[in-house]
Amino acid sequence: MSAPHPQVSSTPWAIDIDHVGKVFTLDNGESLVAVDTVDLKIEKGEFVALLGPSGCGKSTILRLVAALEDPTTGRIAIENRDPLSLSRQHRLGVAFQDHALLPWLSVKNNIALPYKVAGRPVDHERIADLLGLVGLKGFENARPSQLSGGMRQRVSIARALILNPDVLLLDEPFGALDAVTRRHMNVELQRIWGEERITSLLVTHSVEEALFLADRVIVMSGRPGRVVKSIAVPFERPRRPEVQRTAEFHSLADELTLALEPEEAAAS
Amino acid sequence: MMKIDREKATDLVLGVLGIGLFLVLWEVIGAYRLAGLTWPKLSDVLAFLFEPSRQGLFLRAMGASFSMVAAGYVLGLVIGIAMAALVHVINPLRPGMDRFASVVNAIPPIALAPIFIVLLSREVTGMAIATLNVFFVIYVATTSGLQSSTRGHRDLFAVIGASKIRRFMSLDMPAAFPALVSGMKYAIPAAFIGAILGEWFGSSRGLGLLMVSAMQNFQIPLLWSAVLIASTASLLAFGAMSLLERFVYGRFR
Amino acid sequence: MSQSAQIRRSSGGFFLTLVSRYWGVLAVLLAWQAWVSISGVNAIVMPHPIDVLLNIVQNPGSYWQNGSQTLLLAAGGLVMGMALGTLIAVVAWTSRVLSGILIPLGLIFSSVPVVALIPVLARLLGYDVRTVLAIVVIISFFPAFVFTSAGLRALPPGSEDLFQVLGASKWRRFVHLVMPSAVPNWMIALRLAAPPAVLSAMVAEFLMGSSGLGYMFRAAATDFDTAQAFGTSVVATAISVLCFTAATLAETRVNQKWK
Ligand SMILES: Nc1ncnc2c1ncn2[C@@H]1O[C@H](COP(=O)(O)OP(=O)(O)OP(=O)(O)O)[C@@H](O)[C@H]1O
Ligand SMILES: [Mg+2]
Repeated sequence: MSAPHPQVSSTPWAIDIDHVGKVFTLDNGESLVAVDTVDLKIEKGEFVALLGPSGCGKSTILRLVAALEDPTTGRIAIENRDPLSLSRQHRLGVAFQDHALLPWLSVKNNIALPYKVAGRPVDHERIADLLGLVGLKGFENARPSQLSGGMRQRVSIARALILNPDVLLLDEPFGALDAVTRRHMNVELQRIWGEERITSLLVTHSVEEALFLADRVIVMSGRPGRVVKSIAVPFERPRRPEVQRTAEFHSLADELTLALEPEEAAAS
Repeated sequence: MMKIDREKATDLVLGVLGIGLFLVLWEVIGAYRLAGLTWPKLSDVLAFLFEPSRQGLFLRAMGASFSMVAAGYVLGLVIGIAMAALVHVINPLRPGMDRFASVVNAIPPIALAPIFIVLLSREVTGMAIATLNVFFVIYVATTSGLQSSTRGHRDLFAVIGASKIRRFMSLDMPAAFPALVSGMKYAIPAAFIGAILGEWFGSSRGLGLLMVSAMQNFQIPLLWSAVLIASTASLLAFGAMSLLERFVYGRFR
Repeated sequence: MSQSAQIRRSSGGFFLTLVSRYWGVLAVLLAWQAWVSISGVNAIVMPHPIDVLLNIVQNPGSYWQNGSQTLLLAAGGLVMGMALGTLIAVVAWTSRVLSGILIPLGLIFSSVPVVALIPVLARLLGYDVRTVLAIVVIISFFPAFVFTSAGLRALPPGSEDLFQVLGASKWRRFVHLVMPSAVPNWMIALRLAAPPAVLSAMVAEFLMGSSGLGYMFRAAATDFDTAQAFGTSVVATAISVLCFTAATLAETRVNQKWK
């Protein structure tokens, strides 16, 4: 477990990823550098998207922020405190890449799980609202095994939001969705986020999704992961889907795509 | 690497510690008569067991019992594999065979003893019960193993136009092998149970007979010795099969 | 469609499933009948099925008394053994040292022929009905302990991370994650332990000769009352199949909900 950091210096950042590196020791004794000195500051109420090739350490960064891994070098603070204290106070919302629903609970009870774990009374009204928000009205009593992959991910997003977390971590939450549902979910997430302005870190493979949702887009290099580009997204909120058809959106998208494919850029 | 090795080492130390504690407890309970006069010290049982004048008695009993165990094991293994292969090739037979196997498993062997005594003889009843027990374990393991070849591989064989027999020989059989070996491991105690039960129903030889007559005549060290021999033999065979299982899993998966 | 036609149709389907599911069992019964009729063996050696049935119908009292006693001992011992095994598995789960010590011992005991412990336990605890119960408890204990222990560690993928980010206390983690995860394995243990529970109750009664189906069987065998010996076999089989089927049904029901 990570040791508490008693003398973290006071910073204005909601999430402070301070020169963090992560090295895994593999079963055969070799070490693998998953993340190489990433330095990233996220303001309170800011929405940051993380882009990068597969295996570059995006999920690892998210897990470090969630205190599921300890950094090998550097340190992470959330509101000037150890990230572990945030999850201990049930103030962290996470949607994992592989949904992690409990197979024996119905959709409704999966979403209610954070209440039970926190020892709070279950707010059935809020569950019903969120179910509507993620488009799963009528599936309250279904089991995860009866849902499609995309539906399971939506349950997992509703579960991440249920306790009104202070920090929201999303790991490719729409990865398993078809393009149409994905765009619809993006609009919905943008709307939900606009209401509560939760400090959020989103991992995604989609340049368009990152631009549409985030205030800032970070591009990482292939392994070992390093930040190679950071772009502030200028679009006004609330954003309408039409923004994705503007010239500015397209030119930003091209810029990000180029940053994601440095080899091709160099070749051309 | 370091971390995993340390975990394994801890497991090993604790496991050995547990077995050691168990043996010490056995000795202490016997020494202080904590469980009465019918719980002998471990050292007394071992001394009784290795007393030279009794070697003949134990060796004869072991010969009789273990030959029943081995014969029942091999027969059950062959029948189990054959039936599993049969219902795999002729699929409509499968529900009936499944049901038959689970009914056979649910029947208490004691209820079958009179039939075997009439049909065969008292001496081989143990073998017959062992055969049934082993058959059940092997049948269940093999049928589920035969179904474990992946969809993709099966499609591949269909695309290259392999015959059913061909697919069975070069895809389903190797895929079933790990499950079969696991079944063979769990069939070992089942075979011992069958042989011992059979001997309780009137065999004139074997470890089972020793146990019952020692129980009735208050020959406590003899009773515990016979149980210890049967348990140790089963455990050793089980351990050997576990090693084979580990090898097979490494090779076929 | 008239009601009787509906019944006739469903009973036709019923017979078809019956044949497809029970052809193995039916074949054995037919072979028995055929063998008895063709070879014409002595009724003392091998009774006719009809004599066995008659014996049961003519002695309902003793079959009922002994049968219900064995069923109660087997079912009661099974439930108590499962409870004890679960309890110890949970206790072992809380401590690395305890589980490191107990789980290998549990595995060792489940790889030896446990019925061999029956004569030892009979001598230790004395010839008594309570000893029969204790034997069933001990024999049911091992699968319950081994399977529950494994189940408590077979958590769904990602769920441990989930409970950590939700800030779950150890107790809440246990109630909402660990215990429910063990349920499928627990059902497997119940199904596996059911036939041995009936068997060990009967064998204990047989060896100690006090009362119950096992004793009845032994008395009949000593008196060369083969019809009664086969009758107890039939009743014992019915009880055992009943327990096994109940456990299997429970397992299927639970798995539908749990997986
Ligand atoms: N627990 C671990 N042990 C060893 N290596 C790990 C572990 N977790 C991640 N890695 C390695 O670290 C690297 C980064 O993994 P990570 O899951 O963070 O990538 P990612 O950017 O999320 O990829 P993707 O887009 O495919 O999800 C990979 O090479 C991975 O194999
Ligand atoms: Mg990832």
